[in-house]
Amino acid sequence: MAVYKRTYRGYSGPVTSPLWRFTVLQRYAFKAVFKSRLLLIGYVGCFFAPLLLLCLLYLNQNASVLVLINQKVGFLKVDGQLFMNFLAVQGGLAGILTAFVGPFLVAPDLTNGGLFVYLARPFSRAEYILGKGMVLGSLIASITLLPALLIFGVQGSLVGWTWVADNLFLGGGILLSCLTLMAVFMLMGLAMSAFVRWKIVAGALILAVFAAGKGFGAVINNVMRTENGYFLDLQHLLSTVAGALLRHPADNEPISAWAAAVALAVFCGILLLMLNRKLRVCEVAG
Amino acid sequence: MTAPVIELDNLKVKIGKREILRGLNLELRGRTVGLLGPNGAGKSTLINTLLGFWKPSEGTARVLGYDVRTDARQIRAIIGYMPENDSFIANMPAISFVRMAAELSGLPPDAALERAHEALFYVGLGEARYRVLGAYSLGMRQMAKLAQAIVHGPKLVILDEPTNGLDPQARLRMIKLIQEMRALGTMHLVICSHLLRDIEETCEEAVILKAGQVVHYSNLEEERSSNRRFVELETEGDDGTFADAIELLGCACAVTGPGKIKTVLPEGIEVRDIYRLAADRDVQLRRLNFRRDSLEDIFLKAMEK
Repeated sequence: MAVYKRTYRGYSGPVTSPLWRFTVLQRYAFKAVFKSRLLLIGYVGCFFAPLLLLCLLYLNQNASVLVLINQKVGFLKVDGQLFMNFLAVQGGLAGILTAFVGPFLVAPDLTNGGLFVYLARPFSRAEYILGKGMVLGSLIASITLLPALLIFGVQGSLVGWTWVADNLFLGGGILLSCLTLMAVFMLMGLAMSAFVRWKIVAGALILAVFAAGKGFGAVINNVMRTENGYFLDLQHLLSTVAGALLRHPADNEPISAWAAAVALAVFCGILLLMLNRKLRVCEVAG
Repeated sequence: MTAPVIELDNLKVKIGKREILRGLNLELRGRTVGLLGPNGAGKSTLINTLLGFWKPSEGTARVLGYDVRTDARQIRAIIGYMPENDSFIANMPAISFVRMAAELSGLPPDAALERAHEALFYVGLGEARYRVLGAYSLGMRQMAKLAQAIVHGPKLVILDEPTNGLDPQARLRMIKLIQEMRALGTMHLVICSHLLRDIEETCEEAVILKAGQVVHYSNLEEERSSNRRFVELETEGDDGTFADAIELLGCACAVTGPGKIKTVLPEGIEVRDIYRLAADRDVQLRRLNFRRDSLEDIFLKAMEK
């Protein structure tokens, strides 16, 4: 029946699986996010470092080209340190991406009560958080986890699978480090977007949490002559965990990797609680 | 016998330590039910409980046979809810918003798009469906809210203050649409409104809540038909025997003053029989009124309880 024929009928067709329904939000959120051309350009720019590194890896094993630039095969050492540096660069970009994308996610749903339309359907708060979080999660994964694993795989294919077997811990380390990074950024982006509706301020606050945490941590360490201030420095916590996972810890690391991981878990737990509380208020208040 | 649309069995709901709903017992089977009550009566809490947002502290509630304690997800799948407050995403075109709502209810993307077009045409927003919701007028937003509530073909639609903030023309359009939806017979409607006239024009049953309790249940259809049998007369030229003559027709009759008679017409006796009797007896009927015990009267009486 033509849609312009003003009528109404019930629906008795097939329904989608509830398991994957959170992807509906992800799809619509992606459309909204990539309406911004600036963001799209920025996102494409995030692939510069991975592409450069892939080229260097290729050169690293290409004797005929290396002769021309007076270098030997294997001039680039592919180890935990290289992946630490790579994740530091890409992690920084992920932080900026979170500051740009995060505020677009929850705030528009809260401003005019749109959230209630989601939650009055067979769709839970957990699915909402998952759906919105996966927008940031998949963007961050695409610039951190996937390129890092690709680099790992390319290096393995160039050098030989014995290298892969010897350095399998790097693969696991990359995976866990990136998942930690994704969880922290994802929850921070959503929480800021839920509590601060002005997008520019929310974005600035996401970046400020890193800077302020680092600053406060340093002040606490200096004034109280302690090392507990590092627990407020998210960047430090993330690099401590990644360093341990990639078996390349910093010299004289003031806090243990376990302690850093627990601190990050607590931080994520607090963000999740705040987010849940905020959404619950909107759920029952309409 | 089919399951009642809404069945409340000693339903109690506490928010914090405060008991908001205090043992509601009710079984509603009508196609359209009006939910009335002053502010703070517990209407919103009842709706939120039916949607599964609040868990009963005691008793239970069932929607079309599903228990709100255990089947909240199934209930939300068969309910369409139009909230009282603004519920839209300002920078989203209406078509995307309604389509997304349908997809969240489980419709595949293609079916959701088709039905979103249909729902928006149905509520009269067909020509404006590609405009962002932020640019809609209040009346259009109300219609968009209605479209998202019916897009997935729910069995029960809950409309919370559907005519809120609408101008008279838009209100009439909304009332007409609700009456049309009722006439379709494919869905049940629960309408929560402060405007008694809206309920009167659209509902078959009305439930009045006060302080978390049901203070009155009224089958409006029955009230209307019983009102049609209750007649008040004012006569001139009656020698005092007109009331007796009416009684001889089989009507219960009471004389309330000089020339003033109240009577209840039994089955088989119509108003024209009274006119005929008056003509035969050369009595002038100066006034003939059907009793109009309006919902407002019912509501005010319920509030006095």
